[in-house]
Amino acid sequence: MTLQKALSSSIGSKFLIALTGLFLFLFLVGHLAGNLLFMLGADAFNNYAHALISNPLILVAEGGLIAIFLLHIFKTVTMFVANRRARPDRYAAKKWAKTKNDRSRKTLSSTTMILTGTITLLFLVTHLATFKYGPYYETTEGIRDLYRLQFAVFSNPGYVAFYLVAMGVIGFHLWHGISSAAQSFGVDSPRWTPRLIWTGRVFTVAVSLGFALLPIYTFVMGRN
Amino acid sequence: MILDSKTPSGPIGDKWDRRKFENKLVSPANRRKFQVIVVGTGLAGASAAASLGELGYPVKVFGIHESPRRAHSIAAQGGINAAKNYRNDGDSVYRLFYDTIKGGDYRAREANVYRLAQVSVNIIDQCVAQGVPFAREYGGLLDNRSFGGAQVSRTFYARGQTGQQLLLGAYQSMMRQVNAGTVTLHQRREMLDLVVVDGHARGIVCRNLVTGELESHEADAVLLCTGGYGTVFYLSTNAVNSNVTAAWRAHKRGAYFANPCFTQIHPTCIPVSGDHQSKLTLMSESLRNDGRVWVPKSQGDRRPPAQIPDADRDYYLERRYPAFGNLVPRDVASRAAKAVCDEGRGAGDSGLSVYLDFADAIKRNGEDTIKARYGNLFDMYARITDENPYQVPMRIYPAVHYTMGGLWVDYNLQSTVPGLFVLGEANFSDHGANRLGASALMQGLADGYFVAPYTVANYLGGTNLPPVKASHDAFGAAKADAQGRIDKVLQVKGTRTVREFHRAIGAICWDHVGMARTEAGLAGAISQIRTLREEFWLDVIVPGDANNLNPGLDYAGRVADYMEFAEVLALDALERRESCGGHFREESQTPDGEALRKDDEYSYVSAWEFKGVGAPPELHKEPLIFEEVHPTQRSYK
Amino acid sequence: MVVKLKVWRQAGPGQPGKLVDYVADKVHPDMSFLEMLDVVNEGLIRKGDDPIAFDSDCREGICGSCGVVIDGIPHGPDKGATTCQVHMRRFKNGDTITIEPFRARAFPVLKDLVVNRSAFDRIIAAGGYVSMNVGGAPDANSLPIAKAMADQAMDSAQCIGCGACVAACKNAAAHLFTSAKISHLGVLPQGEPERDRRVVRMVEQMDREGFGSCSNEGECEAVCPKKISISNIARMNRDFLRAIV
Repeated sequence: MTLQKALSSSIGSKFLIALTGLFLFLFLVGHLAGNLLFMLGADAFNNYAHALISNPLILVAEGGLIAIFLLHIFKTVTMFVANRRARPDRYAAKKWAKTKNDRSRKTLSSTTMILTGTITLLFLVTHLATFKYGPYYETTEGIRDLYRLQFAVFSNPGYVAFYLVAMGVIGFHLWHGISSAAQSFGVDSPRWTPRLIWTGRVFTVAVSLGFALLPIYTFVMGRN
Repeated sequence: MILDSKTPSGPIGDKWDRRKFENKLVSPANRRKFQVIVVGTGLAGASAAASLGELGYPVKVFGIHESPRRAHSIAAQGGINAAKNYRNDGDSVYRLFYDTIKGGDYRAREANVYRLAQVSVNIIDQCVAQGVPFAREYGGLLDNRSFGGAQVSRTFYARGQTGQQLLLGAYQSMMRQVNAGTVTLHQRREMLDLVVVDGHARGIVCRNLVTGELESHEADAVLLCTGGYGTVFYLSTNAVNSNVTAAWRAHKRGAYFANPCFTQIHPTCIPVSGDHQSKLTLMSESLRNDGRVWVPKSQGDRRPPAQIPDADRDYYLERRYPAFGNLVPRDVASRAAKAVCDEGRGAGDSGLSVYLDFADAIKRNGEDTIKARYGNLFDMYARITDENPYQVPMRIYPAVHYTMGGLWVDYNLQSTVPGLFVLGEANFSDHGANRLGASALMQGLADGYFVAPYTVANYLGGTNLPPVKASHDAFGAAKADAQGRIDKVLQVKGTRTVREFHRAIGAICWDHVGMARTEAGLAGAISQIRTLREEFWLDVIVPGDANNLNPGLDYAGRVADYMEFAEVLALDALERRESCGGHFREESQTPDGEALRKDDEYSYVSAWEFKGVGAPPELHKEPLIFEEVHPTQRSYK
Repeated sequence: MVVKLKVWRQAGPGQPGKLVDYVADKVHPDMSFLEMLDVVNEGLIRKGDDPIAFDSDCREGICGSCGVVIDGIPHGPDKGATTCQVHMRRFKNGDTITIEPFRARAFPVLKDLVVNRSAFDRIIAAGGYVSMNVGGAPDANSLPIAKAMADQAMDSAQCIGCGACVAACKNAAAHLFTSAKISHLGVLPQGEPERDRRVVRMVEQMDREGFGSCSNEGECEAVCPKKISISNIARMNRDFLRAIV
């Protein structure tokens, strides 16, 4: 079996989805760590941002990120379509079989992955338009003043609310996504899998809360 | 006519080797020129198809199920015997042979049974190599248990699902051959006739159960592996679709039916709960290793079991058979249960059950141990009866389980129609009048893996078989017959359903050809069966038509065959005026109520030749000669 | 007791079907679910109507023939049970019960509640075996196998091939079925030599049959009458990845 064929199989596809998802998650963690510098003040934040965007490697990194994102989208969408095709006739009455004692991981999160993923994509477009391609302020040192931009954006309560919802959606996506990725990689043991699922959920909550904290912090700071 | 079993001469231990050497072989390059048909995909059928496919014969496999894996061998719980002597407890091929002959109450053919014991060891090797997950000990070696009253531990098992695991092993081997192109599957097909050309079995006519189309398939040899006829009793532990149709139609084409009256009533089944009941569920015999069987001492004692003190309980098996106690063979245990219920001492609302009590075992070993041993069986019981067997004794009653009788075969497993081989439960050969626990799986696989591949080759290599096409007149005639029967049953459009008729024939058989049989009862049963058969053809109602999936029509065909078959079942029981194994004639018992065999008169196999529906079949005898094991009265006291 | 039924009726493959209402009276709580359908069918036959077609054989939960979706759950409300093991005492007098066939593109409906699951046979034919011929086996005890391993293999080998996993899965995926066989044989030393080839071939066939892919939700495990764990799927994923690199 060629590698290409293997990666197009149901298991190979899930593997790619998991792998790209994992990269995207790691990106989020890094992104969050950088963003938290905001709390340390304008200089720290702007210098960090400048170091990032002035590095010539950023183009490679961005290109890679886009590729990973596109692959994740492509694989999930084609799989979603194939999965719908696998059951052309729907049930008239269908219930979740899961009960309290099952190991079933079916949740509202797991059943809405395609939806939360789509919302995340829409958010991403807005997010890039707002920040990366948003108004260009300059600091006295002549580098981009993203600190000021963030204040400007999150002075609007509407934006704050939008970001909070978006972070919730991303968290919802990761709630199932992380443990699902582990299963797709074949990581499983009776002893560790339950802990792994919970670790993934803790991470999920930490990342989305961390991201949610910033708009609130900015908004409150801006008020004072 | 005296039937020739074609048993090889020489000492019993050398017979099979001698036969294998004498057999004709077919060279590898020539095997693809022969077409083999296997009907049925249980242990015998799947293993035969797999091994013949491996040898290079093109094999067509037919089954009524959706998938070959659904054949009823899948439901066997307990285990499979093999004379491995892994326990160092004195087992040997000879002892397994001896136990099986004795357990069969000296009504089986010695040479066949010896061969069965010989190849039993190969079966375990084969299955383990296939990946059958038998139970193991901590040391990594195979676990064994004592089963069904055997005094050695020779039973290999895979939890309570040994039949499932063995069948899946055989099924997988067969599917490997499907992948290799030697075996082709024809599922949801029912064999409706055997096609005989110039005295040889040359193919079958079957019905596609999805489209209703009748199909002809030609072959050089036909192997029937279609199981037993237990569902003639309506309620049994068999699957609801189990039937005698393929065997019966072959019988009508010249294959003799042997010992139909040897039916096994299994002592540990969940009792009938009402008229709606469609089948009975077996509780593995292994339960008798720890459970104690009892009924109240006095008639009509309707107290809940917990309120009946030990002094008022009759542990009747332990009382009557102190040496074997609760572990007496199946036929003995079943009759004893019937006897106490007939005395009015049965348990439950119907009075047709006895207690199987684990209280002492739980006290002795703890509930956890009992749960580990029988947990799945206890769960199954609780699910069906809504009672908790850890607290309330189980209630059990005998039910039809296995049929030792079947189409007559010689030592080569060939029937009286040359080219028609019969394997597994469908033949009569190895269990005599009573089958021991864990021996059915052994026989099915022995026939399929280790016997048929040699004897079928001998037939193919040693017989001049001119080519036959499905366009041959014999196929056309068989097809027309089958179509005629289908049309006829659909046209009756009466008022009684097939199930009502099935229940009626089952009741006749259970009442008169069941655990205790009498001259008058059997004679009466025969005339009742004839009457019922006439009523069936006048008053049955079958839904739908013959051109699509119509389970009701399939069912009608099977019950129609039972209407004919039941008569020879009763007739055989009538003609055998002795008691042996599962066949108990009330006229023939010892003063203390045990079965009384009559070796000087009945030491033979009864093989019935079909002479037309309603016409008395002709009895042929195969004398049974015991050179090794000399018949004695079985005693388990 | 009396129950109302809504049963999927479909004359043949590819034909339109619909839910039809029936009333089952004279239902005894000790009846099994299928015996209740038997009784309904007896009534239909007497009236000259077409009885409801459904598959069943052993009626003790091991052959894998039966299987319908009862009120939205494959094999109905009981855990670790097949359709034939569900008893009417599980329902209340006057309940309305919806009965549908297992639905998947790979399981076409043949009639009413009867579907064709032969895709499972083809998955097994692709590699669900140990390639060894009769006659070549060494002594059964020549290769000790740790009890824990044998038990694990047995846990997976218990699969009855009923297809409830596919029916429950939102993607109609056959991963639980396929992985159970891959695990059963992959855990045992007898299956080791073909481990890579087996997983690749069986997965290929599974995909070819038109089953969906696994969303790692575990509804399959929740409905499995033999409680086969989705750990098997993780193992299949692992084996597959191992095999292709």
